[in-house]
Amino acid sequence: MPETEVAARPASSAWQPRSPWEGHARPGRHGRAEGAPGLILQPRGRSGLALLIAAPGRDTELGNRLAAHLGWSLPEPGRTRIAGERGLIWAAPGQWLALAEAPEDLRELDTLLDGVAAVTDQSDGRAVVRVSGGRAREALAKGVTVDLHPRAFGPGRTAVTGIAHIGAQLWQRDAEPTYDIAVARSFAGSFWDWLTAASAEFGYVVEPGPRA
Amino acid sequence: MRIRCPYCGARDNGEFSYLGDAAPRRPEGMAAEPAQMFDYVYLRDNPAGAIRELWYHAAGCRSWLVVTRDTRTHAIAGVAAARDVALAREAGR
Repeated sequence: MPETEVAARPASSAWQPRSPWEGHARPGRHGRAEGAPGLILQPRGRSGLALLIAAPGRDTELGNRLAAHLGWSLPEPGRTRIAGERGLIWAAPGQWLALAEAPEDLRELDTLLDGVAAVTDQSDGRAVVRVSGGRAREALAKGVTVDLHPRAFGPGRTAVTGIAHIGAQLWQRDAEPTYDIAVARSFAGSFWDWLTAASAEFGYVVEPGPRA
Repeated sequence: MRIRCPYCGARDNGEFSYLGDAAPRRPEGMAAEPAQMFDYVYLRDNPAGAIRELWYHAAGCRSWLVVTRDTRTHAIAGVAAARDVALAREAGR
């Protein structure tokens, strides 16, 4: 990030939100310089993420409350139900990731799901990067052991897996293909190193990331 | 070797941790004879052939699984969620 931007921050507090990708993602074209870029990497901002863990035997009640108040329905194992930047992503048996534009959008879940699910805010716990482009599948195949071929994996699908020995959850948004990949925040730097090394031979563009 | 997780589909065995034989049942607390506890803690069959064993899908859905595997060929005949196996056993009592 240019130093001028850092200096422009309000001086009222020493504590400022910081994107997990800051200091790693450099906007611009990288890797192979010739031809159209094979991948677009877009560090995601501070969107809302929360893990919902249903209390034993309360899956149905959890689904009912989410449907009644938010119009959401629980996706089956390995599936997502996302509209725009909001929705649910299956994470494990009885567990789902809730997704929203901002962390504040998920605050109401605490009271809404009282007694039926444990809600854990992950907005600052996970770092999310959006990976798209014609060569995205080939680049990801270097570290993802899940078959991402359209025959086996497509829009609306998710996988919890390891990528280059880093625990990750990915979900496919569209057939371009576009994937969102979430890793634990402290692994953002290591994951970025792997992702850019895997993408370099195809040429990739890093879109400007969020400030926080 | 790949294991077909009932939730996640076929995954590389590197995503799983191995525990061992799924057969032993912990004897009833303080009531058990020392010999029973010794059997539970230490004694294991070592079959050349099919065995039901516990695997944990650590890098995936964090579920315990009961995998039926042939120790001679590594061929996997079946995978079930350990939770479902336990519930079925409780129901069968």
